[in-house]
Amino acid sequence: MPFEIPFVQIVWWAMTACAIGGAIGVVSSNNLFHSALFLVLSLFGVAGYYVLLSAGFLAVVQLMVYIGAIVILVLFAIMFSRRMMKPTEDEMNRQWLVSVIVAAALFSWLIVVVNSVSWPVTSAAPTADTVLQLGLAFLGSYLIPFLVVGVLLSAALIGAIFLAREKVEAEEI
Amino acid sequence: MDALRLLTPEITITIFAFAIISLDIAWNDENKSRRILPWLAFAGGLATLLMIFYIWPHVDQYNYTAATDAGREVPMLAVDRMSLFFKMIAVLTVILVGLSAGEYVEKHTPFRGEFYGLMLLAGLSIMLLVSSTNLIMIYLALEFLSITSYILTGFLRRDARSIEAALKYFLYGALASGVMLYGFSLLYGATGSVDLATIAGSLETTQAGLVVAAVILMLAGFGFKIALVPFHQWSPDAYEGAPTPITAFLSVGPKAAGLAVLIRVMVVALPAFDVNWTPILSLVAIFTMSVGNLVALWQTNMKRMLAYSSIAQAGYMLVGLAAWSAAPPSAVAYLGGVDAIMLFLLAYMFTNLGVFAIAIILENQMGTSEIADYAGLIRRSPYLSVALLIFFLSLVGIPPTSGFIGKLFVFGAAVNQGLYVLALFGVFNSVISVAYYFGVLRNVFFEKGSDESPIRVGVAMNTVVTITVVMTLLIALYGQPFIQLAADSAQILAANF
Amino acid sequence: MLPIPLSWWLTVSAALFSIGVFGALSRRNAIGILMGIELVLNAVNVNLVAFWRYVIPANVEGQIFALIVISVAAAEAAVGLAIVIAVYRRRHSAAVEELDILKH
Repeated sequence: MPFEIPFVQIVWWAMTACAIGGAIGVVSSNNLFHSALFLVLSLFGVAGYYVLLSAGFLAVVQLMVYIGAIVILVLFAIMFSRRMMKPTEDEMNRQWLVSVIVAAALFSWLIVVVNSVSWPVTSAAPTADTVLQLGLAFLGSYLIPFLVVGVLLSAALIGAIFLAREKVEAEEI
Repeated sequence: MDALRLLTPEITITIFAFAIISLDIAWNDENKSRRILPWLAFAGGLATLLMIFYIWPHVDQYNYTAATDAGREVPMLAVDRMSLFFKMIAVLTVILVGLSAGEYVEKHTPFRGEFYGLMLLAGLSIMLLVSSTNLIMIYLALEFLSITSYILTGFLRRDARSIEAALKYFLYGALASGVMLYGFSLLYGATGSVDLATIAGSLETTQAGLVVAAVILMLAGFGFKIALVPFHQWSPDAYEGAPTPITAFLSVGPKAAGLAVLIRVMVVALPAFDVNWTPILSLVAIFTMSVGNLVALWQTNMKRMLAYSSIAQAGYMLVGLAAWSAAPPSAVAYLGGVDAIMLFLLAYMFTNLGVFAIAIILENQMGTSEIADYAGLIRRSPYLSVALLIFFLSLVGIPPTSGFIGKLFVFGAAVNQGLYVLALFGVFNSVISVAYYFGVLRNVFFEKGSDESPIRVGVAMNTVVTITVVMTLLIALYGQPFIQLAADSAQILAANF
Repeated sequence: MLPIPLSWWLTVSAALFSIGVFGALSRRNAIGILMGIELVLNAVNVNLVAFWRYVIPANVEGQIFALIVISVAAAEAAVGLAIVIAVYRRRHSAAVEELDILKH
């Protein structure tokens, strides 16, 4: 089918518009609430990338954990304070011009680096059942990282609850 | 030994951490049994230390010729003597900090269970980080350490200084680890592997530009943990704002962990690679030493001064790594410089934790950690004053203290490889550091303080100060076993090839 | 051959990374900085998954790495936002520039 390849590319460009457009929105919006919504757009574009890269499971995780949990958490934190909801005249700090230069230099440097290397690209296709492979890996050779993630998440949970909790009677200061 | 037994130290410390947190929830505020929580943490630390000693003799028989993940009994974690050495440092730090934290914690926060539980978990994360041989595991353990450190730094959450320090630490740390991760992803793309030894085997010289880029990006992450210049800006704020026992922990634990992982990545993944790392490492070492020492001169707060002093100390340690990288490529297994770092670190741990123990005692008594308030300490507590003198002599590197032996080895390694300028910078910096350490000592011995009441030192604190003083002197006066220990621990790493 | 060359992915990822770094450096508000960092982590994940697909599709390491990055990002965001809320409780502001108790 001659139209197949352009179609994938059209999807790619659409997703890039979401991802990069959203990212620019995140860093340039003067309203934090809008920034967070732009972040959703950007993360959605990245989820689309995962589908194009035949990593469907990751795309779902991206939607559920990143958009469904992390961004919601960010939105909660923004809404927690009404002052942050209001657009301020200037969300940028004093060094924004320096930041633009740093980011532009970083981008050009990375482009030069990644294009100067001959990446060992193969034309092999992934095995049909990557989810099965993932499951086996997490309970096999990646068991220790899997367990450590569990311990890490509990530690983070305990810490986050402790830090964000209301003031307790017994607390001094 | 099988995988489960090789992991007993990690398993032990995890069980104790969660036991403490669960018991803290189970016992309500009025329950007197909660008093045992700090002692449970102490017992957990001791048990973990025992497990490390239990494994120690067996790792010799363990087959180290299989350097890649496929041949390892514990996937992703190398239980070799180098990692056991750093684990020992981590656990000793947790024990000594835990002991010296007791009174401070009781005074400042009702959340004892979380404090000790999270500190043991921070110890666990260091133990995982120092044996990681895989980019995934390195990232995971590094973030684990960061996240526990952020929480502990902000532990006095009603104190604006503590929680603001946590926020600054968090923002710098999250960005640094993101940047490091980008370097990891480039290495993964270039080699198709996340295992350090496999990466070493698949890098090609045509990829030199990429590897340099990846290492620079990775240095942001590791340098952040070690507080190397220019990734050090977080550390004075975090050190000053954090609860003082946590400052003590941050000044040793993450530094040791960051150094261990930096050593492992350099030695295992990029050894024979056709890039000369010496200029980068030397430059970072020189900047770290000089900035740390020069800025320390102007500090009036003890915690902040010690923050800059520990930045400088990390610079000295990096001199050892620069010396290693300067060895001719034919001597891949040569690890001179690495053993020097380990010896230096051992000395630095006892010395720095001793200084912080004294800072904690004085802060408990006086409520501040301003250097001016140290005036007349000699009349209030001759023992602490003399101990402080010994610790500062060690930090400067004057015999007969352990710091002297550490510096002798580190600078000696540099001279061995012909890095005279680097060694000279090190010695010159040590001379600068005399000024601020002795500024404190002048206050302690020759100034007259407003308060003359004697300093009360509890049993736990007394133990910590005594242990650290004895070890600071012992490593210098009876150094052979410790030098041997460091050399042994570094050699096993060489046997990995 | 795959319809999209690897270099396109790497370029997009580099762009996301740079935008994220810019956000982290230029924002006044801690939550704004955190969102910039999330962009950086997403750039890394695009890299990882693209390398997995183009370099070694037979082995799922790249996807595992990306999954772990996402879980750690969740833990980090939870702790980070808890710290932001605690700071906000004290000062009614989360602008980093106003954090001036710790002198330089």
